[in-house]
Amino acid sequence: MEVVLGQVEQLPALLAVSRSALVRDWDSLTLDRALEWARYFQHLYDRFRTRPQLREALGRRLRRSQPYPQLGFSTLGRCPQLLGLALLENRALPPAACRRLLRSLPRSPGAGTGPEPRGLELIARRKAAACLLALSRLPPRRLPGPEAQLQAEAQLLLRRLQEEAQEIPEAAGQLRWLCGVLEQLPQPRAFEVVAAALVLLKQGRGQGRDGSSLDGYQASAAGDGCTAELLLSWLLGSQERFSAFCLCLPCSYLAFLAGHYSQLSRSYLDLLTVWGSHLVYDPLQGRWVKSCLDEAELSWEELRQRFSCLCQGSTLLKEQTQAALKLLRTQDGDFKVCGVSVWTDLLMEGSFYLLTFIKMSTIMQK
Amino acid sequence: MAQDTTVPKLNFEYWLDKAIEWGQATTLESQKDVCLHLPQLQEFLHQLYETIKHLQGSTAAVQQFPLIGQLLGRLCWNPFVIGYDESQRTLMWCLCCLYSSEPQNAVELKANSWIRETFTESLLCHLVSSSKWESNEAETSTFISALGYTSADYYCHLVKNMVVSLVTELRENQSNGLNIQESISASRVNAMSIFCVPLITLPDLTPLLETLLLYHGSSSKEILSSEFLEAVNEAFLKKKISLPEPAVFSLWLRHLPSLEKATLHLLDQLFSIQLNSLEEVACVIKDSLLPQAASHPAIFRIVNEIFKNALMETDGTSEVMTIIQVFTQLFLQAHQNENKQHRFPLKAYFPNHHQPLVRGLARRPFELPTTSWSQHLKHISDMLKALVEDTNVSSLIDLFEIWFLVACFGEWLDIAAEQLLKAAIEPDAVLWLLAFYYCPKNENQQRTQTMVEAQAVYSHLMMLFSCADLSLKDLEAAVHKLTGVEQCCNQHLTTHLLTNFLLFSTGGHKIAQECIYHVTEVTDTSKEIYNLLIRTAYRFNHSGEENQRTVKLLNALLQKLPLKV
Repeated sequence: MEVVLGQVEQLPALLAVSRSALVRDWDSLTLDRALEWARYFQHLYDRFRTRPQLREALGRRLRRSQPYPQLGFSTLGRCPQLLGLALLENRALPPAACRRLLRSLPRSPGAGTGPEPRGLELIARRKAAACLLALSRLPPRRLPGPEAQLQAEAQLLLRRLQEEAQEIPEAAGQLRWLCGVLEQLPQPRAFEVVAAALVLLKQGRGQGRDGSSLDGYQASAAGDGCTAELLLSWLLGSQERFSAFCLCLPCSYLAFLAGHYSQLSRSYLDLLTVWGSHLVYDPLQGRWVKSCLDEAELSWEELRQRFSCLCQGSTLLKEQTQAALKLLRTQDGDFKVCGVSVWTDLLMEGSFYLLTFIKMSTIMQK
Repeated sequence: MAQDTTVPKLNFEYWLDKAIEWGQATTLESQKDVCLHLPQLQEFLHQLYETIKHLQGSTAAVQQFPLIGQLLGRLCWNPFVIGYDESQRTLMWCLCCLYSSEPQNAVELKANSWIRETFTESLLCHLVSSSKWESNEAETSTFISALGYTSADYYCHLVKNMVVSLVTELRENQSNGLNIQESISASRVNAMSIFCVPLITLPDLTPLLETLLLYHGSSSKEILSSEFLEAVNEAFLKKKISLPEPAVFSLWLRHLPSLEKATLHLLDQLFSIQLNSLEEVACVIKDSLLPQAASHPAIFRIVNEIFKNALMETDGTSEVMTIIQVFTQLFLQAHQNENKQHRFPLKAYFPNHHQPLVRGLARRPFELPTTSWSQHLKHISDMLKALVEDTNVSSLIDLFEIWFLVACFGEWLDIAAEQLLKAAIEPDAVLWLLAFYYCPKNENQQRTQTMVEAQAVYSHLMMLFSCADLSLKDLEAAVHKLTGVEQCCNQHLTTHLLTNFLLFSTGGHKIAQECIYHVTEVTDTSKEIYNLLIRTAYRFNHSGEENQRTVKLLNALLQKLPLKV
């Protein structure tokens, strides 16, 4: 077993080399050997994936190695593809080795893991399919929720999270892993992906269309709940991050998420409270303005819009929002006059806005 | 290397012109044009690969085919081409062939570099679409790498998501039909169907294919493009995709050429297999989904017409007749299995016929006790006689239609011949039925004559029926009838009676093999006898014939006979 662990430790190095300039010294024999190693790792994956203890051991050993802390046991299963594609993209690979690679890839068996183990032609075909289907996209997109690309990224994230959850039992470790991964994306994108993932979890599509698991990792309602917790703890982990998240996403989208995740709705309302309390009333202009010209704060219009989005959500969310507003109004002295408490004004606007909205939607339905 | 035979076939100029044309135009017309040419292009690429696969490196290939680089380059960027069936695989093989393991000159170096770029760029990234996607491209691939996945996983999910999204929108639009503001225009659905043409054999697309096939817009005109419908039908017939039944039925209902093709394809299949047993035939027919589809009267009528034509074109060979009979049986089965509420009455399928006759013929034999079979047959015979003899059957066409109706339900005819020998109550009526089947025309009293002859043969056989010991000589008279070539209707009918006699009479068993051998020697009725035997075997299997002796004999005969057919 120690031998196997030692071998598995080499995987990160192998992948690193395949992406580096070191391959310029490779000939076709070296390439063959590398591909053989990849197939061997995949074989290990097939053998051990139904044996949790061995799986954990291998996973731990993999994670020990730098500079890719993100690798896990499941990476072993994808080794031939990872290696092959990395080498293909590597310009430093000399012609002889490259030719050997090209000859082997399109017909690579890659049997075992993965839904369709048929090599590059399937990637190319699917890419073309994505292109063609994009051409036939039907405007306008009426359905709420993320676009197909974001969904795909979110699905991959969820898949990986579920794999990690089986290997790293403690939540702190998982969170560290998640942070590491999400750092790879620029922040707006990371937020979009996480939001998409949260939506997918609620729709029960964490692992792709059919219920069957793609990698032998069973998705369950409990498992989904844990994953959601993890994502939320990342989001809510720092106030800065969370407020950036809330500023980044459109308010209807946020309202949708808040309606499904109670921790989110609470934190969101708290944040809105903070923002709201930073507004001051300007009697000369007759409206609420920001107390300081900070980008990361909301204006009156924006605040009002966000509250009205929340009120258009589920009944529970609406009640929660209105209760929160009423409480704040009470704390401010329970005035029913404009211009004294921002909460009073919001409530008054809110009901007006809601009525207007109801009227508008009835007209449109006719 | 064989140059001369292959080079003329590889029309590079033509395909390069096409590729340039396709690259520039983005109209629906040009896209339709691509779809139309995809199968030929795939064939061309395959031939190209076969030609260049022995070559090492690009110099030799470029010498032989100077335009090869340009052509392959353009094709690699056309998603219609890459998305189609196996074209992407062949293209990639061609590129691999052009790659030099030891580049000798600058040209080869450049070619190598270009090939690698094509692989990575056209395969792995840079979706040819809106700029929004391009800017996200780098971020996406870093992220996916960090997760430990590859573009294989990414595109897998991406395509599935897009399919789900389109399916959902189509379905919502279907149910939202009244809200015209938000409805999807017919032209967009038509365009979508064209974009799907190359992707039909990609399994991820099946849900979208299904939804499109079941999609009905508000207009009565067909929204889906005919290229799409044809291509789906082709793929289905070649068993490259599998679709749920409602989708297939919808396809055939909307697109007549597809239905015709499917029916002809079935007939081709059946002609090409050796008819060893009707179980095989029934299996093939059932798999084609045509009997089930025929529950729609419109489909039934068209399939029926095609079968009729096939019968006429082959001069009514017994094989075609057998196929039609099995089809009709399976159709009845499927029809009866339908939910009572959705079931059409028999009148819908046979609108121009005398309905009591239709109902009589459509009764499945097993629905009646065997003791009442004779009575039932007499009933059918009487109705038929009334139709044919008493009313003025105006034309040959009408007569043919009636005859065809009876022939479709051939099971009863086989049972008639059997009943005549086993449980003869009122043999004349039943005999008339058989005489009509084998000799429907009576302008020159052919049928009457046949009837007379048949009665003679029948009485002769009935006399011998209970004899325990028979020899070939005893059946001399009957066999003699077969060799005379005056009227072939008589031959068929006599063959039928004789074969049944050999199967079901006590004395007949012993000399069955000898007799049949002799008959097939002196006449050319072996095919007919063979078909009759396999029909009987099929019937027995389904009704559980108790007489083991008969079953054994039947199997023995069937084993020996194929050698003579």
